[in-house]
Amino acid sequence: MSDFKVNHREGAGIHVIELKGYLDAHTATDLESAFQRLINDQKFRIVVNCRDLTYISSAGLGVFMAYIEDVRKNQGDIKLTNMSSKVYNVFDLLGFPILYEIYKDEQEAIRKFGESSTGR
Amino acid sequence: MSSRRVTLELQPLFEFSKVVNSSLDLEFILATVLRTIMGKMLVGKGMVLSRGDGTQFRVRFVRGISDGLVGTTLRLARPPRTFVHLRRRKDDWATLLVSSELDLLIPILSRNAIVGYLGLGRRLNGARYSANDRALLRSLVDLSGSAIEKALILGQVHDANRNLDRKVQELNTLFDLSRELNSGLDLDKVLRLLSFSLMGQVGVRQYAVALERDGKLEIAASRMEDPEALRAVFPDLCTLKRASTTQELLKHRDCRRPAGELIRLGFEAVVPMHVQQKTKGLIIIGPRIRTVPYGQADLEYLYALGNMAIVSIENARLFRDAIEMQKLEDELMIAQEIQRDLLPERLPEIPGFDIAASNIPSKQVGGDYYDVLARKGNEFVIAIGDVSGKGVPAALLMANAQAALRALSPSADSLSEITGRMNDLAAANTRGGNKFITFFWGVLDASSRTLQYVNAGHNPPIVLRTSGAVEYLDKGGLILGVLPTRTPYEQGTVRLERGDILVLYTDGVSEAMNAGGEDFSEERMLEVLRHLRTESASGLLNGLLSAVDQHAASTPQSDDITVLILRAT
Repeated sequence: MSDFKVNHREGAGIHVIELKGYLDAHTATDLESAFQRLINDQKFRIVVNCRDLTYISSAGLGVFMAYIEDVRKNQGDIKLTNMSSKVYNVFDLLGFPILYEIYKDEQEAIRKFGESSTGR
Repeated sequence: MSSRRVTLELQPLFEFSKVVNSSLDLEFILATVLRTIMGKMLVGKGMVLSRGDGTQFRVRFVRGISDGLVGTTLRLARPPRTFVHLRRRKDDWATLLVSSELDLLIPILSRNAIVGYLGLGRRLNGARYSANDRALLRSLVDLSGSAIEKALILGQVHDANRNLDRKVQELNTLFDLSRELNSGLDLDKVLRLLSFSLMGQVGVRQYAVALERDGKLEIAASRMEDPEALRAVFPDLCTLKRASTTQELLKHRDCRRPAGELIRLGFEAVVPMHVQQKTKGLIIIGPRIRTVPYGQADLEYLYALGNMAIVSIENARLFRDAIEMQKLEDELMIAQEIQRDLLPERLPEIPGFDIAASNIPSKQVGGDYYDVLARKGNEFVIAIGDVSGKGVPAALLMANAQAALRALSPSADSLSEITGRMNDLAAANTRGGNKFITFFWGVLDASSRTLQYVNAGHNPPIVLRTSGAVEYLDKGGLILGVLPTRTPYEQGTVRLERGDILVLYTDGVSEAMNAGGEDFSEERMLEVLRHLRTESASGLLNGLLSAVDQHAASTPQSDDITVLILRAT
């Protein structure tokens, strides 16, 4: 049924989470535990690369909402990149672009972290 | 008008029309129209209004006027179809436009319908609009009318599409959630998924989910500063029949106070979760990130979402309760096994006596116990007891009493002393709790046919003489396990002659109830025994038990029934 993978890599203090496949209520817990791990480890500079994300449901969006405040309270951020137009449309429908920084590609998001000492 | 002049003016008009009609972008069209007209007429202030629903017109675009007006809606009761000199009108909308220093309002027509208005301020050169100017304005506006209408319709189609997308997304969420909720029965997981959906689909940052527990609502999940602050509003919200905004609740007398409190805490809507018309939970939510207030469709959606979740939550609870129930049943099985193992498998033969006994455990497992043991020589220990309480604790206490009896009864000490020690052991085991044992035991010397006994608070066994006389074996003392022994137990002696019957029983017999709530009673017992007194011990036992059975009829047995009958032969 739903096929979903979360991959995590790190470079220069920025943690990139790559999402692959189908993010719905069933797989939302996988992403949740990935965020939880980073936050437990005090890693708050997070880029989520959505290049291979084929679908996102509301439960998936909810996971982003659940962690953004924790991360920002700790001078970090969750920046989103490489969204397909289909996935972007879902984010846009619910007004997420007001709340999240969304970039065309990963490098741009990483540069943005570099531009401000707070990570925002 | 010379032909040269006309050509000069036609060329830019043609250019203007081409530019305006080549675009479907409303903002671009409006900006172009306004810029062109303001340039030609030397006007410093301009505004474009577009038609909304009915007679409403929305400020779409301004030049030289504060941006704050953009988005404002004006209601023009009878939208004028000709040029309007604003300063000559008294309408509210005209006054508002004059306050932005606009002088002239020009209707924008497309296929003879008003699609908007163009507002213009004073000309910078102070000149009045000549007939020629008016003709040019009319032409420019007419040329752009159909472009504006097309762009407006496109915008409406775009908005409709977005709304449709949103609806599809909402349905997807319900579908996604229902599939997931039906696959798991874990309460925490259900709450987490509900939270994700509130945040992800509805786009709320502040929310609380309360669930009913023992008749009261308790916070089960939340994302807010101080969830406990909500506690005070719960009782008033229990009667809510449908999802409502807090503003709407403010209008109802019963809800004014909680609604005010919720608004103060930053909440915008309350969604009850119902199971069979009963409020089993509440979802309370703050504003959305899209900042659009909750509409009727949103509330209905939230209600559907909440009610889907509550069904799963109730199922998860029922499942957990079923597991608890299973555990209790397992425990009961263990207790039953312990109890069964404590009762003698076979009764020893006692010379000169006929003996029969039976224990019928109730469903709930009480703590009845009886025993017959061979002691030294021709002596036999006979005992019966009833432990307070039910289940495993009762069974264990009974096991303790049995072990004490078996360990202590062979001793040469007096029955009184042995009973005292059994009581001390029981008191130590129950540690002053409200557990105890009513206990009767005795030592029957088969040669002399005498029974020495101690009755520690048990229903006095009955001796039915051949003469028909009845004696009760009631010498003894306090029930076992309540207090350590202070005063020694009294000891009784009775001699059983040929044909005498000794009946030991527990209150499950005498208190067996019929449908009318009437006890079987000791009187009925004696009546049965007298009637059957020539029967063997097992004949008496069966007769007694079937009399109890007949009395109780279909009333379920609430306590263990134990009878031990000894008949001197």
